[in-house]
Amino acid sequence: MDSQKSICILLLVLSTIAILACLVIDFQAWIVYTVAIFGIPLWILSLGLLTMAKPKPEDVEERVKEPFTGY
Amino acid sequence: MNLMAEILIQVIIAFLAGSLLLGLHRKVMARVQKRPGPPIVQHLIHSLKFFFKETAIPKTVSKVFYIGIVFILALVWIVGVIAGPVAHDSLLILFGVYAVYKIVEHNSGSSSGSPYGKLSCVRAVLSAATELPLFAAIVFVYLVTGTMNIGQIITYQSVHGPLIFSIPLAALMFFMLIITKSPYSPFAITKDKALISGFETEHFGFLRGFMLFSESVAWYVMLWVFLTIFFGPLNAVGYLIGMIVITFITGFINATTPILSPNHSVMAQITIGAICFFGTILMIFTGVVA
Repeated sequence: MDSQKSICILLLVLSTIAILACLVIDFQAWIVYTVAIFGIPLWILSLGLLTMAKPKPEDVEERVKEPFTGY
Repeated sequence: MNLMAEILIQVIIAFLAGSLLLGLHRKVMARVQKRPGPPIVQHLIHSLKFFFKETAIPKTVSKVFYIGIVFILALVWIVGVIAGPVAHDSLLILFGVYAVYKIVEHNSGSSSGSPYGKLSCVRAVLSAATELPLFAAIVFVYLVTGTMNIGQIITYQSVHGPLIFSIPLAALMFFMLIITKSPYSPFAITKDKALISGFETEHFGFLRGFMLFSESVAWYVMLWVFLTIFFGPLNAVGYLIGMIVITFITGFINATTPILSPNHSVMAQITIGAICFFGTILMIFTGVVA
């Protein structure tokens, strides 16, 4: 497993636990705000980095080398 | 209700409503231009679809910055949701959110290593001209209501009536900001088609989907703030109608107005802002504004 995937799984688990903890336990407002502000984007980012499709090994060089011009 | 549950519900509402409104915006523009246009749900489908699209990180980018800036874009607009619909907090926080949004546009372009992104990044500095009318609008709201707190502004309006009737030119200044941030706006110099997708050019696949998520939330938050501080206490139906009407108006304006060159865009914004600013001061000194 590559390091990016391991970090993403770790961040996804941590952000999920933090968000669920705030849902179950009534923490002080500033703690909930901090978890929401950092946890929600982190959850989406780590989930997206896991769900995104990767280029085929033979296409990788072409994908990262060629300048991309939008979708 | 649990605070985190409330935040999550508001973020989901902001994303879904913002996506559908942006879809409606494209539909209105297409109809005005006598095209069928994409379905209204297309923007929402795009945002979700990109999460599963092939994504590669180009060699030319600054990797941490390139990914981090997309994270920051989502972060600032979640702050916007919390400061606005959830906590009814200070307008200055929302002004700060908008200022950071400009920084994101700037740095997203510079992190990409693409000439299109870099030119868009330079234009993002020019387009910061929109912050002057926004700041002036916030100052006038403060001068009239005596507070920056959104909750207290709502209370003020429930007693004295909507601010749109007392400081209409300040509302016009804020509305200009909404036009500026709407897709295909005449002031959208950072996303001019000559720059492909501007500062977003090198962000594709999942990262583009994440940006579309943040832009949907941003559109919802900006419309929410405008309706809240100028149209007084509204219920859910009032917000819905207001957001649809503003999306229609901006769609019509953007469909019929060509994109301005950067210098004309900045001059037009500053001129409209200056007219509204001095007009509002005149209204205050002549006693039109109580």
